[in-house]
Parts: sequence; C-alpha cells; structure tokens
Amino acid sequence: MSARTAYLDHAAASPLDARVRAAMLPFLGDDFGSPSSLHDWGRRPAEALERAREQVAALVGADPDQVIFTSGATEARNLAIGGLAAGNRALGRRITATAVEHPATLAACRTAVRDAGGLDLVPVDGLGRVDPEALAAAVGEETAVVAIVHGQPDIGTLQDLPALVAAARGAREEARIVVDAGETAGLVALDAGALGADALVLGGGSIGGPAWTGALVVRPGARLHPLIHGGLQEGGKRAGAEDLPGIAGLGEAAAIAAGTIAERTARMAELTGRLRAGLLSVADVRLNGDPDRRIPGHVQVSAGWVEGESLCLSLAARGVAVSPGSACTAHGGKAAPALEAIGLEPPWTHSAVLFTLRHTTTEDEIDLAVAAFAESVAALRAMSPLRP
Amino acid sequence: MSARVVDALGTWCPVPIYLIDRAARRAAAGEVIELLADDPLIEVDLPAWCHRSGNALLELRRDGGAYVGRVEITRPAGGGDAGGPPRDPSPGRSASG
Repeated sequence: MSARTAYLDHAAASPLDARVRAAMLPFLGDDFGSPSSLHDWGRRPAEALERAREQVAALVGADPDQVIFTSGATEARNLAIGGLAAGNRALGRRITATAVEHPATLAACRTAVRDAGGLDLVPVDGLGRVDPEALAAAVGEETAVVAIVHGQPDIGTLQDLPALVAAARGAREEARIVVDAGETAGLVALDAGALGADALVLGGGSIGGPAWTGALVVRPGARLHPLIHGGLQEGGKRAGAEDLPGIAGLGEAAAIAAGTIAERTARMAELTGRLRAGLLSVADVRLNGDPDRRIPGHVQVSAGWVEGESLCLSLAARGVAVSPGSACTAHGGKAAPALEAIGLEPPWTHSAVLFTLRHTTTEDEIDLAVAAFAESVAALRAMSPLRP
Repeated sequence: MSARVVDALGTWCPVPIYLIDRAARRAAAGEVIELLADDPLIEVDLPAWCHRSGNALLELRRDGGAYVGRVEITRPAGGGDAGGPPRDPSPGRSASG
C-alpha cells in the first residue's frame, strides 16, 4: 500500500467523532447496568437511553416517544415494512414500493406479501427519480403500505419526498407510508412532523453514529407489530437488551449533526464537486443518478469496459478505499437493482464504483483518488477483452 | 380533546398494561389515552388496571382483530402506584440477549 491513502468508503463504515466515542465509553465501563433495572446501577443507563431518544427525535423533528432504537437501518426497514404490514392487514395485503428501494426494504416487502397479497413496484426514470403520478397510480384500494426511499444508496439520487408522500396520501389516505432516510438523516435536514409519513427509517452511519445503530420513528396509532417479541424494551416494539454504548453514541452524533448540518454539507459539496470533475475527466466514465439532487458526499460512476470489482481492487492497491457498485452488494457479484432500474445494461451495471466522503475528507484524498482512478482505468482497459 | 395513542399491537401481556401505565404516569389529569392492543387478555387486564389505579375506563371495544380501549386519566403522576401493572419478574431482562 502506498504511503498516501484516501478513505472514500464512508457509507460502508466511517470513523467516529471523538465526542461520539466519549459518549459511548461509560457504558462499556462503570455504567454497565441495565436501563431496566430498579436499583442504582440502572439509573444512569436509563437516563442515557432517554437522553439519546430525545437527541435522535430532535434531529428529525419527532417526539421522543416515537423513537424505537434498532440494530441499524436494515432492522428498522424490516420492522417498518413487516410491522406495519402485520398491524394493518385490515387495510389490505398489497405493498407499493419504488423500484430503487434499499435491498433490505425490497426483501422485507417480498417477505410480507409472500403468503398473500402482492408487491407493486414503481419504476424510475434514467436518473432514478420517482414520478409522483406513477406512485399514486400504483397505490390502490388494497395497498396497506407504501415504501419510499429518500436517498438511493447505490446511485445517490434524492427523491422529492413532500411530493411523493402527498401523492401516496392522495391515492389512499389510510395507507401507511414508510420513508427510508437510512442514508440521508444527518446529511439532509428532515422534519418528520411536516413530512407526514407514518414511519421514518434512520441509520447510524449517515448520522455519524456507529454503523450498527439505527432507529425507526413511528407515528402514534400507525399500528406497528414488533418483529422481536418478549420484552418491555422500546415500548414492547423491539424486545431485547439495549445496545447502550451504541445508542448513547447515536444520540451524541444526532446532537452534533443537528447543529452542524449546513456547514458539513457545504464542505461536502466542495469536495464532491472536486471529485466528480476529476473522475468525469476520464474518457468513457459516466455519473450514475441525478447530477443535481444527490445524497451529500455520494459519487457513483461507471467506467466503460472496466469491471467494477477489479477497479475497486486496483484502487485499493493504490491506497484508495471505495466500494464496487454499492456498499451493500460489494460481495454479491450482482448488479445493484437500482442500476438496472435506471436502465443501465452490462457492462455499465458491472463497472460501477461508489465513492462516499464526509466533511472530514481532505483535498489531498480527493486528488489521490482521482489520480489513482485514472491510472487504474487505463491499466484495466489496456488488458480488457471487453473494450471494442 | 384528542387522545394520546398507545400502540401495543402485536405485544402480549404484560406489555400492553405496562405501556398504558407508563403513559398514564406522564399524562395530565383529564387526558384521555387510547390503547390499541390485540392480546385478548386486555379484556381482563385493562378494566382491572383501571380499577386498581383509579383511572376511568371510558370504552373497550373490538375493532376487527384488535381492541381499542379509552381511559381517562384521573390519577396521574404516579397515581397508579397502588395498582401498577402486573410486574414481569425482570421486565428489562426478560429477553436479554
């Protein structure tokens, strides 16, 4: 590995702010007690649990009682889809979802309708955008749940949430609407109250907390069944001992994010612009997703006649950390469904690499990544049997 | 006055009663709490909890496969001490791990 390195894989994992780490450490040490205990060892953990709940709620304009902590956005997605489908069978057995949902959401939808009902997928355009009219047309009298991803994790496109929520609500007012902000909370300002969704998925990674933390914000009366049964934790909606270190870290990260979102996104916009310009200066490289409405710090490109995993490994050998295709399908060897949904075909679907940065990224890292990208693409194309 | 909604759907005794007891302790006098539950034991537990805690059961009805209970809080802020929820022997740790 070269002496200089560039870590541009923050969607997969990201170093914790020192303040976040500090908030977590007491619960790995003296404050080891259970927040459910009646004795004194439980007091500080219980206080920390509720403080974190308030901090996470404040980040997204929710009431603390609406926050259910989970083991990450993936569990929150499963709880939202599975829990609302189970609790609202009287509304119907069909689920409507955009074609570019996170794979966890799509899997949860398919599981929820496996025995009865069906899944209606709403197509997107070439930039990954969902048309509100198309969404409304896919919501019918049997639709119990509607899933809308805010920031698409592979291609980075941000959806127009207010228009989509209004369209779904207009098509069927009582349908339960799940908004997946698992990749955007903490990076994009969100107001759960104004949004009017029934459930909002949050992930620790984008907020700046541990990647293994997350939460589901649920409107009272949305009728959510738990997926994990057998305890009083999280209002009975998510039984099991709480991850106090992680939750305390998530809360601290949410408080930091709420106070710094504008300056961080401005800094990320500068860095992202520099990265995009450098990557797109290489011939036959395309940006995937919407060029204007994107997750901050998210750049996915496809390099023609280069296999994405090979490119990722070549970059790694040059000290640059990225993910092939998406952070979530890095080991699957499959094209991300979102790339197919926007109409890409091989070899473009298999030549995608994802760069994700944060405000702590440096210009030096960007420049190293751009230079390594140009070198790697040239080297791989020189030996590629695919190149015409 | 609109009711505060406590969603206990999909949970089993003692969770629904624990949830309404917790909500009652945070509520103001005169506030109405609406409990959604689908554990059939709620038909017994909710009237018993209201009787023991001194709060008023306004309604308990079937709603499809679930129950909707409406309780007016007449003894808030710990008023349920004499008749709290049936305690799980170790409520927080009953599902630890």
